[in-house]
Amino acid sequence: MPENIMLSVALILSVAGMGWFALALDTHWKQVCGKQPRGQASSRVLRGLGGAALSLSLILCLKVDHPTMAALVWIMALAGAALIVAFTLSWRPHWLALLAARPPRR
Amino acid sequence: MFQNFRLAMAWVHTWFGLFLGFVLMVVFFFGSLSVFDREIDRWAIPESRFEPQPMPSYDEILKPVFEDMQPSKESVDQMRPRVDGPMPEHFDTPVRWGAYTTHRDPVLGLFAGYRVPNAKNPDELVWGTRTIDPRTGDALPDDQLKIGSRFFYPLHYSLNLHWMDLGYWIVGLAALIMLVALVTGVVMHRKLFRELFTFRPNKSKQRSILDLHNLTGVVALPFHFMFAFTGLVIFAGIYFPVTHTQLEPLHDLHEVVESQETGLPHESAGVPAPTASVDAMVAEAQRRWAARDMAGDVGFLALQHVGDANGYVSIYRAGTDRIALTGEGIHFKASTGEVLREDPPPSAVERIDEFLTGLHLQHFRHWLLRWLYVLGGLAGCACIATGFLFFVEKRKRQHAKRGQIGARVVDAMAVTTVTGMLIATLGMLIANRLLPTNLPARGDWEQYCFWGIWVLAMAHAFWRTAPVARARLAPAWGEQCWAIAVLAVAAVLLNWVTTGDHLLKTLSVGYWPVAGVDLFMLVGAVVAILAARRLKRRARPQPAASGELSGETAHA
Amino acid sequence: MSTATASRAQLLSRMAAALLGGYGFAWGFIALGVATAFAAGMPFHDAEHLFSLLAFLLYLVTFLWSFAARDPRRVWLVLAGGGALMAALASLIQHVLV
Repeated sequence: MPENIMLSVALILSVAGMGWFALALDTHWKQVCGKQPRGQASSRVLRGLGGAALSLSLILCLKVDHPTMAALVWIMALAGAALIVAFTLSWRPHWLALLAARPPRR
Repeated sequence: MFQNFRLAMAWVHTWFGLFLGFVLMVVFFFGSLSVFDREIDRWAIPESRFEPQPMPSYDEILKPVFEDMQPSKESVDQMRPRVDGPMPEHFDTPVRWGAYTTHRDPVLGLFAGYRVPNAKNPDELVWGTRTIDPRTGDALPDDQLKIGSRFFYPLHYSLNLHWMDLGYWIVGLAALIMLVALVTGVVMHRKLFRELFTFRPNKSKQRSILDLHNLTGVVALPFHFMFAFTGLVIFAGIYFPVTHTQLEPLHDLHEVVESQETGLPHESAGVPAPTASVDAMVAEAQRRWAARDMAGDVGFLALQHVGDANGYVSIYRAGTDRIALTGEGIHFKASTGEVLREDPPPSAVERIDEFLTGLHLQHFRHWLLRWLYVLGGLAGCACIATGFLFFVEKRKRQHAKRGQIGARVVDAMAVTTVTGMLIATLGMLIANRLLPTNLPARGDWEQYCFWGIWVLAMAHAFWRTAPVARARLAPAWGEQCWAIAVLAVAAVLLNWVTTGDHLLKTLSVGYWPVAGVDLFMLVGAVVAILAARRLKRRARPQPAASGELSGETAHA
Repeated sequence: MSTATASRAQLLSRMAAALLGGYGFAWGFIALGVATAFAAGMPFHDAEHLFSLLAFLLYLVTFLWSFAARDPRRVWLVLAGGGALMAALASLIQHVLV
């Protein structure tokens, strides 16, 4: 895979990972999915998904750059991803329904 | 005195954060701009708008330029009191010549240090610098200020206040307070992870400001901490000059030992000797790097004891693919070109130090990481600015009732350091495009414009924050937002008019340094307009205002 | 009124301790650290870098402690006294080495 694509995927994964971490919190789950029951998407499952996505993102960063640089790219990407998730939650929360594999709250 | 630990930490956060926050705002904003300092240089000096160049041939290009250089007038004047007798007209014993470049530099900066006859301390040199077009060796006019790398960047770490290094000390204190504010902020916040993604723009103004303050502070916490900390580490020698004062004798002892170990002569021999081909030495250095599987370009080239039998040439690899700035130095005997020494691999401590300073100074080639740094820096600005706003929101009604002016003064200072600073920055870039090119000391005039405009913005801020004293929104914010929008668009248009490099042209040929600066200003203009319109909506008296007000006082 | 002045004086004392006392303590820490580590065979620049790096973190901790501690006199005693003691020891080691 070319480096640009690997880094782009790493960025997308970190946004998704942060999104899953947010959905694992009850307040944000309600913001996104309303009263729909969590079903299989329990907090633990979502946190696991989030952790996996962030780890995969780190691995991709490490594949592209020298480890010292990759660590910085990854940490900064997490910060950016957390900001994106937070602002999405405050303006377009239903977009995150995609990550919960649920129809968005009406 | 403080009832408990948490209250003590809150007091420290509020008051130290407030006073040093104004400095931190400047440090974070110009730090963010410094990520692209060389690109801003290109925008400000149209003659230098060409592609980055590798280190040119020493034998053909650099040597005649070095031989033509002389120390700067300022450096000679500074040295004058430390010399017995008069200063010579011409300095003809260069001790050190050097050239440093990165993958982002079209132009090349050179420096030269000269021995001063009869200096009280014979090791003290006078220095000269020159910027050349590395393709031809032609000098660029000294009058042209590199606004990015010689004004915004030093503003970031020294406030351009050089009297007794005062600026460095103020910024250092601010960096320490940044660390303090982060730790105390975490202590105050408590729900660090539970509210990590929380921003409620529709709640009360005070609540949403605090949300934003927490959000921008917490998500970029590692960035904020590392940058404040590494900033201090970079200037550790200034803040704690232990080994140049109290432990100077120990330092001197070590220097003698070191020069014995490295075999690089500490003193000149006093016997003239010609210099062999430096290009051949560069080729040999590159061959040795490639043999170590670290093929690379030359980042830093230096000659020590120029023209002396003890002279040597040091060649360092540009660290574009690493965090470290330069490294893998190889040293050659200047007169013969034989290798004197290859720097051993760095020790564990050196590696840590290189990583910490390198991650802050960022001379690596990684555009994504650069933009993420800008994002981190701007998140820092947002965190500090919302801190000011929260301070004002929390107190303005109480202060209005009691006739105190605290909230108003803080609001005026916040306007000055948030929008006022942007206005001054844009004003400087506009002055750069408007001042006549043949104006003597043009760079100085650009700096006067920057400071002058900032003072005007401050005056406006103090004048138009009067309503805060009656617990209302200051019109200064909205007005300065409009000023930013107008100035940003004007700067982009002036760049087009005076150089012909409009966005369609720079984008179509992919000249990103100039296109990027233009686009960044246009995006800034859009954000400023959105902010101004939102502020106007907020300022309009609403029937629901009284309800909102009672809700807010409950929070405070 | 007198309690207000007393607490203001105490606050100023704590601020001075945090800034100046903490600085002196960090200075002493660097000096002693560099001198001992160099004497123990660590390369000079390594010692210099390592201890100034740690000193900034130490400064952060002593700064916070100056406000968190119950008794400001103890803060002064530890920071100023400890700083002076460490600096003196460093000079002593240097005297032996040079």
